[in-house]
Amino acid sequence: MDDINPAIGAFVQEAQEILEGLEDLLLDLEDRSDPEQIDAVFRTLHTVKGSGAMFGFGTLARFTHHFEDAFDRVREGRLSIDGRLIDLSLRARDHMIALLNCGGDGPQATALEEAPEAIALLAALFEITGSETSKTTGGNEDTETTAPVQQPGTARRWLIRFVPEVNALRNGMRPDLLIEELGGLGPVDVSADITALPSMDELEPTRGYLGWTIKLETDQPKSAIEAVFIFADDAELAITEEMIAPPAKADPSEVEPSSSNVREKSGESVRVPAAKLDEIMDQLGELVIAQARLCQMASADAELESVVEEIERLVTGLRDATLSIRMLPIEVVFGKFRRVVRDLSTELGKVVTLITEGGETEIDKTVIDRLSEPLVHMIRNSMDHGIESGGARTAAGKPSRGTVRLSARQEGGEVLITIKDDGAGLDAEAIRLKAIERGLLSPEAQPTESELFQLIFAPGFSTAKQVSSVSGRGVGMDAVRSTVDALRGSIEVASRRGTGTRVTLRLPVTLAIIDGLLVRLGNAVFVIPLAAVEECVELDAAERQRESGRTMLCIREHLVPFLDLDEVFGWPPSVESRRRVVIVKFDGQRLGLVVDDILGQNQTVIKTFSQYHRDVPGFAGATILGDGSVALIIDVATLARRALAERIERKPAA
Amino acid sequence: MTKASRQSSSYEMVLIFRLSGEAFAISVSRVHEILDPIPVTEVPNATAFAPALVNVRGAIVPLIDIRQRLRMQPERPSNSTRLVVLELPVAGIPTRLAIMTDAVEEVAETDISALEPIPDLGSRWPEQYVSGVIRHGSDLAIFLDTENLFCPDPERAA
Repeated sequence: MDDINPAIGAFVQEAQEILEGLEDLLLDLEDRSDPEQIDAVFRTLHTVKGSGAMFGFGTLARFTHHFEDAFDRVREGRLSIDGRLIDLSLRARDHMIALLNCGGDGPQATALEEAPEAIALLAALFEITGSETSKTTGGNEDTETTAPVQQPGTARRWLIRFVPEVNALRNGMRPDLLIEELGGLGPVDVSADITALPSMDELEPTRGYLGWTIKLETDQPKSAIEAVFIFADDAELAITEEMIAPPAKADPSEVEPSSSNVREKSGESVRVPAAKLDEIMDQLGELVIAQARLCQMASADAELESVVEEIERLVTGLRDATLSIRMLPIEVVFGKFRRVVRDLSTELGKVVTLITEGGETEIDKTVIDRLSEPLVHMIRNSMDHGIESGGARTAAGKPSRGTVRLSARQEGGEVLITIKDDGAGLDAEAIRLKAIERGLLSPEAQPTESELFQLIFAPGFSTAKQVSSVSGRGVGMDAVRSTVDALRGSIEVASRRGTGTRVTLRLPVTLAIIDGLLVRLGNAVFVIPLAAVEECVELDAAERQRESGRTMLCIREHLVPFLDLDEVFGWPPSVESRRRVVIVKFDGQRLGLVVDDILGQNQTVIKTFSQYHRDVPGFAGATILGDGSVALIIDVATLARRALAERIERKPAA
Repeated sequence: MTKASRQSSSYEMVLIFRLSGEAFAISVSRVHEILDPIPVTEVPNATAFAPALVNVRGAIVPLIDIRQRLRMQPERPSNSTRLVVLELPVAGIPTRLAIMTDAVEEVAETDISALEPIPDLGSRWPEQYVSGVIRHGSDLAIFLDTENLFCPDPERAA
């Protein structure tokens, strides 16, 4: 895959995006099917078909052709939109993605094309379009892909001037195929422009010097012509209508917005590989460290200090700007769930509405990339275990249609994602019994409700009485928690019997830089992510209480368990008299971490561990402090969970 | 020397360093730099093989204690203690790491094809971490198998 032609890579990427959009379009169609919406689907398919054929995705183009046929019929009003068509279309779209992922024609694509599922899909398409099934897997249907979609209508004449970018040929662009595709829209008259052609001795054979002027007569809208050139966006392209025919019937207001959209897309945004952004982030990290060092050295010199302040301001600005580049609206993930909910509704026989809110909330791309899987798990769980069947809901006096609400909002340096259902709620007693049965809880333990709810994230835990294909295998929620841990987030669960469950994920907005609290333990300095810190208190020996084998701390009449970091790290106990406790929260509980001193706050660039330390529990990575020393960043959740688990293990022995 | 043996001989530069008096050799192509001792940060609960981190010019680098794998006793730092920073693939990933040595001696040219299997002292050195011995003046130097020696997971080291 390394030596893949960049133009083909760009096609695959763009087609992928287009097909993702197609899913939304199709789902929208189910709710409201106006002609504009249908046209948009048709155009999408047409674009993928045309450019697919051009970039060597013949199988994809052939399949799409039949799919497009179906929507041609819908457009003409000969086929109506119903649940069956949407089902079929969604499956066809999935098949297109699979074909696209084959990376072009080849044995893999052929195998997919000939798979029974694909043939069934085609047969279903033929059934609704009324075409004969004889040409299911014909190899030489190249003419098909550019087949003119002739319709009775007013033909318009267009003047197209097309000059490819000089390096386009090197990138695999094929002007001949583009022109051939134009030919599919209607009769063309092509003339080449050779004015840019240099003399023979200056000619570089790999460069493109030609331009073309094409006269095209077609009844297709301007957008259809633009669609032909969609992957030639570096080219100089002008499409003008020759006003000889009587004014066109096509609605110009429909054509205009789409063409301006295209322009906006190509002109005002830049596609950058994520690795380059990571590189900038790395450099910026170094800069933040160097600046912290400079800041420490400058305190003696007033003149230098003012310069350092200036630099600090600039670095902060640069950091914010760079971080914002990496930010994406969370909508990107939310969009996928409409399909998940639709498919699951059918599978489980439950009617469920998905409501999403706060999709514009922005979050780091790294977080987004890893978030979609845990969210799918949680939505499945809500629908499978949470929402009751229609009959049970009616009996409970609830509307038979269940609701899952997915919302996001930013709070300080964190993004809160909430999944809320109006289902049966968690059964605390059932969880308790199950936990005892699984050995996750001792029978005499008296956990609080929120502690019980946390147990659903324990490995191997599942309260579903029956295992369905959707959930109940007890792997899901465990995986959710480890993903959220890896993202340095936390999970909170709230539930009321009969009314529903709310799960809240708290995630850092970015993973690259965190605000940290510097603490000292002996001679070592550690960083605790500020997002996890609730408050800091003095450790007064008198406040320590030993209760039920657990070390508790009384803070304003509340008992808070605490961990001595010396003990956790296997170090000799501290002999310092005045120590401090950092109260952190994890898994919805409060926990004190005892340290020797609190040094202050700083902004920290996280460097992940090498292979040698990746498995050391309790740390998220390391950072370099202003004085050049290395400090470890504490990962509160894994540290606390491990230490508390060890303590429980040790208890029976004592 | 026959023609054939001359063809198979390959000269390579090696760095010779000492651990508890013993001479060890490592290919110079793996050596990134040699540093005077710098502050180290202990990683709690880490293995004795990779106990700490050091800051090498802004990069956080794991400090590896190869004595662990060579079954050698720890030694106190002295005036001649040096940190050797290496850059080599570890389990396929290019990795920078540092090792603490008692002294760095010299860079010497050696004929790798004349590498000899470890003679009778074979039992002393775990064989998976040692490629053989090379002549180093009147002395012998242990040529280390960096691939296995720095493998994070000793189970995987063949």
